[in-house]
Amino acid sequence: MLEHLNAEPVKPARVVIIGAGGFVGGAIRRKLDSAGVTVLALTRKELDLLSDGAEGRLAQMLQPTDSVAMVSAVAPVKTVPMLMQNLRMGDAVCAALAGKPVSHLVYISSDAVYADDANPVTEASYCAPSTLHGMMHAARELMLKSATTAPVAMLRPTLIYGAADPHNGYGPNRFRRQAEKGEPITIFGEGEERRDHVLVDDVATLALLMLEHRSRGALNAVTGVSTSFRDVAHMVARQYGKGATVARIPRPGPRPHLLHRFFDITDCLKAFPGFRLTGLAQGLEIARRGI
Amino acid sequence: MSAPVIGFAGMTHLGINSAAACAARGFRTLCYDPDGRVIDGLAAGSVPVVEPGLPELLYKNAGRIRFSAQARDLAACDVIYIAPDVPTDEHGGSDLSGIEALIAAVAAQLGAQAVLVVLCQVPPGFTRRLLLPAERLFYQVETLVFGRAVERALQPERIIVGCADPARELPAAYREFLEVFGCPVLPMRYESAELAKIAINCCLVASVTVANTLAELSEGIGADWSEIAPALKLDRRIGQHAYLAPGLGLAGGNLERDLATVLRLSGETGADVALVRAFVHNSHHRRDWALRTLHAEVFSVSSDPVIGVLGLAYKEDTHSTKNSPALALIRHLAPWRIRIHDPVVPAEAARHPRTIACGSALETAAGADALVIMTPWAQFRELKAREVAHALRGHTVIDPYRVLNGAAIAAAGLDYFTLGAAPLRGTRQGEPHA
Repeated sequence: MLEHLNAEPVKPARVVIIGAGGFVGGAIRRKLDSAGVTVLALTRKELDLLSDGAEGRLAQMLQPTDSVAMVSAVAPVKTVPMLMQNLRMGDAVCAALAGKPVSHLVYISSDAVYADDANPVTEASYCAPSTLHGMMHAARELMLKSATTAPVAMLRPTLIYGAADPHNGYGPNRFRRQAEKGEPITIFGEGEERRDHVLVDDVATLALLMLEHRSRGALNAVTGVSTSFRDVAHMVARQYGKGATVARIPRPGPRPHLLHRFFDITDCLKAFPGFRLTGLAQGLEIARRGI
Repeated sequence: MSAPVIGFAGMTHLGINSAAACAARGFRTLCYDPDGRVIDGLAAGSVPVVEPGLPELLYKNAGRIRFSAQARDLAACDVIYIAPDVPTDEHGGSDLSGIEALIAAVAAQLGAQAVLVVLCQVPPGFTRRLLLPAERLFYQVETLVFGRAVERALQPERIIVGCADPARELPAAYREFLEVFGCPVLPMRYESAELAKIAINCCLVASVTVANTLAELSEGIGADWSEIAPALKLDRRIGQHAYLAPGLGLAGGNLERDLATVLRLSGETGADVALVRAFVHNSHHRRDWALRTLHAEVFSVSSDPVIGVLGLAYKEDTHSTKNSPALALIRHLAPWRIRIHDPVVPAEAARHPRTIACGSALETAAGADALVIMTPWAQFRELKAREVAHALRGHTVIDPYRVLNGAAIAAAGLDYFTLGAAPLRGTRQGEPHA
């Protein structure tokens, strides 16, 4: 559950976005820009967290009144070397924050920190990651919390989709691109696994709200509605008209242990009662138009 | 030998009801509280708690009841009950400082042969730690139920007595008083009795949690829990009086206190109490059912909705709002206007910045986008579906406890949401069938 240190939203003095060039970081940057928030956007070009002396360069850029949005990650983490890379990046940020206290920190984490059998998942669900990706985020959450005296908020998105997604992972992003190319939209097996899909714009809005409220704690960036990959595929197909088809292909491996994942979004409703998450159909249309 | 005189120290819900039942059973009864204002009010016929039948019982037996704010008056009692309600914090933790002070004050007046009985809710180990003569010190389990306190005080199904030595016979005066209730008296060790109280509540919570869990499943698969629960009650292993009505989590404070005690004892002993954690988790989850329904049905489509809330008390027939689901809901309705009515609790108790206090249930519905019935007061059953439909601006009725007839509400063109069954969608002109 989030605790708001600002009961009413207050525009942060400045937000330093670490990882502003990525899919999520870019969306947060645009959201802050449109809200009139002063932003110091750090992409890998301005700050490569894996380079020597990165922590010192970051520390020089930070002001005590800054809010920091830490988004940067090499993801998804699939190997141990990738895990260690991400931890070194986290270590650099921790070192900078330890030397230069800031006002507030928001870390963009992942729902992969939760145990597979947490169902429905809430912010109070146990963190027991079953993947290297989840372990990376869980470790960085702890690292960052221990490195700073500033209030820290974790935003834990589930599967994110949006026009600019670079990963092309199984789900809305790949389905849309397949439809755009005129290829069949392919689902594994029956595509019956139900997942929650969140629009990247909503993740960015939640980050903005957390920054404005100077929140601390954890919040899941999820819609509370889980949809099967089959239904997502057909929703995308309908968007692209008669030519779009859905085809089943054999699974690349056994059916996933985690068949369905549901989220209870009550904490989000309480934290930001006026915020409305984008439904999947509407979000897919936004992504299709590339808005 | 004349009948013993029974004293009750601490005039809150438990003490007043217990004293009234004692007098009704024919005993001279002394009601003591150190707060003179409380005593003056009671002596003048003003009962500070809402409990059906209690004012009448006190009035009818007034000749046997004496009220006093003087501790020395307790010296004339043969049996003295320590009977105030023990306050709890938001986590269910008990504040025992008040009863410890009361026990000290009462013990100083205890006659040479008199018996002291701790009746209020104390954690295991409390009674044995008291520095009082063990052969005259007892703990008695209270099973007060808000809204049914008089009935339960007059006709307990059994009396559990915690003793220093359960093999020893109870003192004559205490035994004479207990036997008049005509139910089994079960002496046992202090700790067993203290845990028995918690065990009773854990069993109740288990039933409620089963009902809540399967009611939620019912909502998702097209079953109706109200059809299932009667079948369970006919099973002798479950029983007619089982708590199988789904609700909005635990409220009132007593059940929550006992779960918190179990969790604390687990921390001290290492016992596995994952089950009890699950009870607490489910309670929190179901408490927010109405909030989730409002967001899904109203807040997601209306920019400045008005919500009518019927009921603030944590249950019907009481003034108590301890852990009230209504107040828990209202805390998260801050951005919106709400109209409130409760037959007993004033609207100010909601502490909401945009509250309109209403004089009746139907007035509460007037111009609202949704009507939410958070306490199943009998008065609310008098609402007519067509009148509600006419009064509401919107078309959402959220009725967790099935106060209204859902089919009639849907027939009036409203959408009806309750615990344990799928929503009933009303058909409205110009809208497609749901």
